[in-house]
Amino acid sequence: MKKNNIGRAAILTLLLVLLFVTSWELYLRSKGIPISYDDDENLWSDKRAMVYEPKDKATVLIGSSRNKYDIDISTWKKLTGDHPIQLAMPGTSPLPILDDLAKDKNFKGKLIVDVTEILFFSLSLQRTKEPNNHINYYKKWTPAQRASFSIDHFLESHLVFLDKDLLSLNALLEGVPVPKRKDVFALPNACPMEFDRVTYDRQNFMTSKFLTDTTLQNQVKGLWVFYRQMSKDPPISGTQLDSLFATVKDDVDKIKARGGEVLFVRSPSSGPFLQGEIMGYPREKYWDRLLTITGCPGIHFADYPAIDHFVCPEFSHLKVSDAVIYTTNIVQILEQKGWVFPGKSKI
Amino acid sequence: MVFNSYTFIVFFLVMLVLHNLPFTWKVKKINLLIASYIFYAAWNPPFILLLWLSTVVDYFVGRALYTQPNKAKKHLLLVLSLCGNLGMLCFFKYGGFILENFTHLVHTLGINYQPAKPNIILPAGISFYTFTTLCYTIDMYKRKSEPVKSFLDFALFVTFFPHLVAGPIVRPPQLVPQFQTPRTASQKQLMQGLLLISMGLFMKVVLADSMLSASANSVFNSKDVLNSLDAWMGVLAFSGQIFFDFAGYSSCAIGVASCLGFVLPENFLYPYAAIGFSDFWRRWHITLSAWLRDYLYIPLGGNRKGKFRTYINLMITMLLGGLWHGANWTFVVWGALHGLYLWVEKIIQDFTYRRKLNLSIAAEPTVVMQGFMAPRFLKKVQSSNFALALFTFFLVNVTWVFFRSPDFTSAWRMLTSMFSHIQKGSSILSNLAIIKISVIVICMVAFHWFMRNTRVLAVAEKLPWWLLGLIWSILLILLILSQESSSSFIYFQF
Repeated sequence: MKKNNIGRAAILTLLLVLLFVTSWELYLRSKGIPISYDDDENLWSDKRAMVYEPKDKATVLIGSSRNKYDIDISTWKKLTGDHPIQLAMPGTSPLPILDDLAKDKNFKGKLIVDVTEILFFSLSLQRTKEPNNHINYYKKWTPAQRASFSIDHFLESHLVFLDKDLLSLNALLEGVPVPKRKDVFALPNACPMEFDRVTYDRQNFMTSKFLTDTTLQNQVKGLWVFYRQMSKDPPISGTQLDSLFATVKDDVDKIKARGGEVLFVRSPSSGPFLQGEIMGYPREKYWDRLLTITGCPGIHFADYPAIDHFVCPEFSHLKVSDAVIYTTNIVQILEQKGWVFPGKSKI
Repeated sequence: MVFNSYTFIVFFLVMLVLHNLPFTWKVKKINLLIASYIFYAAWNPPFILLLWLSTVVDYFVGRALYTQPNKAKKHLLLVLSLCGNLGMLCFFKYGGFILENFTHLVHTLGINYQPAKPNIILPAGISFYTFTTLCYTIDMYKRKSEPVKSFLDFALFVTFFPHLVAGPIVRPPQLVPQFQTPRTASQKQLMQGLLLISMGLFMKVVLADSMLSASANSVFNSKDVLNSLDAWMGVLAFSGQIFFDFAGYSSCAIGVASCLGFVLPENFLYPYAAIGFSDFWRRWHITLSAWLRDYLYIPLGGNRKGKFRTYINLMITMLLGGLWHGANWTFVVWGALHGLYLWVEKIIQDFTYRRKLNLSIAAEPTVVMQGFMAPRFLKKVQSSNFALALFTFFLVNVTWVFFRSPDFTSAWRMLTSMFSHIQKGSSILSNLAIIKISVIVICMVAFHWFMRNTRVLAVAEKLPWWLLGLIWSILLILLILSQESSSSFIYFQF
């Protein structure tokens, strides 16, 4: 190799990498794909660290995916002057996070707990594994990881191709049509890219393409049916349910004893999904008992005409325009229930 | 801070700039030392105190060991140093393990003893920097090299960030002289360093984390008896994962040092092309095996006290080498298996050597193959050599079962799945996962075989610049596409 050849190779490398990255980014943008943030343990930890703001009066949202789609963060900020902190995690039980906040003596804020019955009233370890992993990650979040997260945030804010779930090497390989292996359980492919995107506030929103494409909507509906069929355990009842209520009450009492507030919310769902939930989890046996035992206020969407009519495009979550209406109404209902938003006076 | 993180990229760029500014050499060394402490503290700041303690104690004890004329006092100082270093390692790494075994022991004696579960966090890299400082004090005791004159140089030798957390384990003569004269990287060193960093990150992020770790984890975490294909694929995936993870780290470390103008020793030389186990240990984690040879095997007597003692010394070295990797009996068995393989290999070597002597053809010269004596015929017949290398690779894979399994029940279940035909064994890997593992492992073994007698930088220098640029860019593009978060390196836990 001649002198300086490694330097020439390095320059060629730089040019080829820049060419590839630019082409890939432009191609994705030409398809109309907006920026999305990896909703991973770092983003969650970043939000978890905010629960003490402002001055112990943060509004924290926990639960599963419905809170993430249905509460429109910017509407909430605009109406209340407060910054809601989204800690909900799709497909999981909120109980580990409720317990974590209950044990955190510094948390004295408002807590809104989404109740999606199949996830909330569940003893499956699968439902608690990811929240527990995130909590443990947050507790060990190192200065180096925080710094990396800040740089990552900057990059993700500018580059569409930084989307681990849908555009990483592994995600792209998963799209290769390899025949399924006999007898091997395989999850269906992830949701289509057009389904949703995630904001830095951890809010999910469906894309406009998804809202106009019934094929995509049916694809996601099929996924929900698949996941629903996967959980074959019958709804819990008897002593198991009593024990779960006792655990929730214990955690809620700890937060209330410190001056915090807890409210449960049953977000809208529609179609066969809603029918299945009504049949599997009769309101008086689950929702009503939850409020009675914990002594907490609750908002069930079916009780309020302003929010009882939404049609979810894939049976389970609201589109952004409906999320804005829903959030506006939720804030009003909360104020009727006596919640005070200190930041509102500054708007 | 891990090499595969955005934080490190920024940190490294800042260091490169600082190191090339017109400061005095002393200022540059202070910069490097402060940077190394930041590198370490970015993980868990309080553990920096342990590093400082180890540095200060060993600097002064080392000097005293070298100058102390009184033998008894010298012994005492050595014991003090060993107790300090090994005691710290034992407490943090083996505290829970010792307590657990002690509890088991007293239970078998019928005593009901239930100690509180210790909640000890293992400081990153403690095994590595403990070995680095230990070799210094032992060298001082033996007067093998002179004490480091400057505390700054000694602190930098212990803490120099490229090797601090997971090696290569450096000896004072390898690194300290490099701190004595001003160093900056030449353009060639810088480019070679960047190439090594790219390769290291590719190995870690793309191959180990993105392509192999999920399959290895799902197989080893499975509670079911698996069918043989899945079990073997899981073991092969781990075999690739552990190599790419650790060799990737070492490559990054050597590359980072090179960019700053320093040279670190090689740690991996295509180990899956090893012919036999002595050859394997000359290629796998070279700086650890050399450390164990020089500071454990030889002091135990090595091969100087007869054949029986040689075998015993070999086994003790491998058992302790296994235990160094983790506080679990599975690691001890992993070491024992390697010891056993080395025994068998030595018996065969002794037998063939004796037979050749008897046949009066012992005059045929043997060759030094990676530092070990091996019969000449191994050099001649390439195809049979390859078969031997594959056989070695097969046996190495068996040992990885114990290395990766959390307990003996899991290890036994895995071995049963691998070696017996189980009609109803579970299948858990997808076709895509099997294709990924097969392609990567076949390419890895072939690459090791073709590279076994050369070095990657030597090959890179011979390639046309456009081809090197093309390969380099493919590595980086795959690295960017993989989007793996900055996961820890496996060897950090050791």
